[in-house]
Amino acid sequence: MLIPRRVKHRKQHHPGRSGAAKGGTRVTFGEFGIQALEPAYVTNRQIESARIAITRHIRRGGKVWINIFPDRPLTKKPAETRMGSGKGSPEWWVANVKPGRVLFEMSFPNEAVAREALRRAIHKLPMKCRIVTREGGEF
Amino acid sequence: MSEVRLAAEQRTEFGKGAARRTRRAGKIPAVLYGHGSDPKHLALPALEFARVVREHGQNAVLTLDIESSTELALTKTVTTHPIKNYIEHVDLLLVQRGEKVTVEVPLVLTGEAAAATLLTQDLTTILVEADALSIPEQVEFSIAGLEAGTQVHASDLVLPAGTTLATDGDAMVLAINAAPTAAEVAGDTGEATEAEASEEG
Repeated sequence: MLIPRRVKHRKQHHPGRSGAAKGGTRVTFGEFGIQALEPAYVTNRQIESARIAITRHIRRGGKVWINIFPDRPLTKKPAETRMGSGKGSPEWWVANVKPGRVLFEMSFPNEAVAREALRRAIHKLPMKCRIVTREGGEF
Repeated sequence: MSEVRLAAEQRTEFGKGAARRTRRAGKIPAVLYGHGSDPKHLALPALEFARVVREHGQNAVLTLDIESSTELALTKTVTTHPIKNYIEHVDLLLVQRGEKVTVEVPLVLTGEAAAATLLTQDLTTILVEADALSIPEQVEFSIAGLEAGTQVHASDLVLPAGTTLATDGDAMVLAINAAPTAAEVAGDTGEATEAEASEEG
C-alpha cells in the first residue's frame, strides 16, 4: 500500500477540490492510460486495488505505471464523539485528483486486453474516468 | 514535410476575455516569435489548424498570411484542454528558409520482437536537427526478431538524409527483456494481496 515515509504535518486541512489538473494530463510513459473526469480523493487502497485489477488481467508481458501518490492525510473523529476536543486521528491517505489527471498508464502489445484491464481498474476508482492513448484524441 | 498555408489575423485585444471571444469565434489565439523580432499576436482558424496538426503532426511548417505579409513558422507548442481536447493556444516559432531547427520527431517501431520478450521503450520521440523545410514526419526503427537482452541507443537509429541527432547518442531508446514468467507475475500480485490482508488485520 502506498504511504508517505515521513510528513511535515500529520493532520492537514482537506485538499482543495476545485479546478482542473495543471499537469500530468497526457500519457507519457506507456501507451494507454486512465484519465480522471471528475475531482476525487483517491485512497491508497483504491490505487492498490486498481493496480491489482490491471496486473491480474494482463498477467504478463506488460508494464504498469502509477502516476499519482496518496500524500494527503484525511482525519476522522471516532463514532459517537461530541464535537470539539481537537482534530480526529489520520484515517486515510489520499491523492487529490482533479479532472484531466492521468492516474495509471500501461503498455501492452494487445490493445483489447489493455483496454479491458483499464476498464476493470476504473471500476475500483471513486470517480468517472476514461481510457486515453498516447496519441490522444482528435482535435 | 509539406508546407501548409494558413490565413492568420493579427489580434488587437489580449487577455482571458479576449482569448475566449477569439475561441468562440472559431479561432485559436496564437503567438509568433523568434529571431529577435517583437512577438506578433495572431488568431488562427481553429478547424484548419487542427487539421494541419492531425495530418502533418506538430512539426508542420506553416506559411502564414498575416494581412499583407507572409511569414514562415514552425509549431513550437500546442496547448490543449486537458479534458475537452480542443486546442487552446499555439506558440509559433519564426523560421527562415535553409535554417536548421531542433525538433522532436516521433519514433515509430515496426515489426515484433522475439517471442517471450518484453519491450520497454524509454524514448518515444527523438530530438533531431534538420532543415526547417525538410523535417522528417517520423523516424522508423525495426525491432523484428530482436532477442531478450538487446538494448538500442539513440546512436543506433538510422535517420533520414539531412537529419542529425541532437539528443545524446548514449541515451537508451528501448530495451528488450525476457517477459516475466507466470510464477513471477503470480508472486507480484500475491505479495500485494498479503500486504493488504496484514494491513486489515
